[in-house]
Amino acid sequence: MKSDTLVLANAEVARARAGDLEALEAVYRAFQAPVYNLGRRMCGNEEDAEDVLQETFLEVCRSISRFRGDGSLWSWVRQVAVSKALMLLRRESGRAGRSSNGGPIPPDTLGTSPPEPTAPIDLEAALGRLSPVTRAVLWLHDVEGYTHEEIGEMMGGTASFSKSQLSRAHKRLREWLV
Amino acid sequence: MDRTQHLAMDELLALRDGEGGTSSRLHVEACDECRRELERLYQVQARFRAMPTFTPPRNIWPRVVRAVQRRRSRRRFGYGAIGLAAAAALAAVVVLRGQPVEESAQPSDAWVTETSSSDMGPIIHRSRELESILRTYRPAQRVYDAPTALAVSVLEDRIVLLDRMLSEGRVVGADRAVLVGLWDERVATLETLVGLQAVQEDRVWR
Repeated sequence: MKSDTLVLANAEVARARAGDLEALEAVYRAFQAPVYNLGRRMCGNEEDAEDVLQETFLEVCRSISRFRGDGSLWSWVRQVAVSKALMLLRRESGRAGRSSNGGPIPPDTLGTSPPEPTAPIDLEAALGRLSPVTRAVLWLHDVEGYTHEEIGEMMGGTASFSKSQLSRAHKRLREWLV
Repeated sequence: MDRTQHLAMDELLALRDGEGGTSSRLHVEACDECRRELERLYQVQARFRAMPTFTPPRNIWPRVVRAVQRRRSRRRFGYGAIGLAAAAALAAVVVLRGQPVEESAQPSDAWVTETSSSDMGPIIHRSRELESILRTYRPAQRVYDAPTALAVSVLEDRIVLLDRMLSEGRVVGADRAVLVGLWDERVATLETLVGLQAVQEDRVWR
């Protein structure tokens, strides 16, 4: 992700913090693609990714005045997006009849696993075959660069939970990938 | 570390992330299979990072803007009311500061309609009852303790604000449900205020 300063001028961020809709739109334009892709990769489908994008920017518009500028704006927006995506996973998990009361998201509660592939599959298909929680951990750690401690905290679990999910993901990928 | 046993996945991942222990590192240096596996993990990570990106749909920002504007207009209604204080607000101030209650000399048609309507009439009646009760609790120079004084002041301010909102609500022809909600809140606030005064009175006479 490019530095915010390349995408948004400080003055624009300041106007966004003051609630200026044009400046907020500039923030949206700058970050819509990474937020959508984050949602798409974590949730695994288009519809949920749209929800993540919309919910994230509703929250950004509501709360950007609280952004203090001590980190990058992208880090802040991304944190909002991750929490929206995790909320969605938690909701799905709740719909699947498991606990959704703020505890750790159960790793394998969503949907039934498709049958094991008989031949190697590509990266996209392999990612889609992982359980949503395992996929989310993999994406947050290996691509977004969150630490296991951060992921554990965001998911209401521990660093060990995150490590074991990542380990599980890579074991499966080793079996599946081309 | 037993050199005949290969590293587990979590140990290899720790090494990839620069967190592995010395014994794991030594093992990888000596074990071709684990070195290959570690290299494979680096490659998988690189492939994930290089995955193609999706283009977001175009219709999301307009939805966000609509939601933001709806929220702002709701807030404007609340805040705008402050600037349009009318007779009701003044009446409330007078009532709560200890002056005789005086009905507005020339109540608006809307006010009359509200007072006699089936949905708002009872709430307005209750509101007046509570104001009457408050008057009985009001010696000319009441001295409150600090927390009570603060609470009374906040509640009185809230009532003034509600009256202003009611006043503007009538002017702009606000939805009836909104007016009923404001009246409900006014009654609830007055009840709290009466409760506070009652407790205070009790303390005074003990």
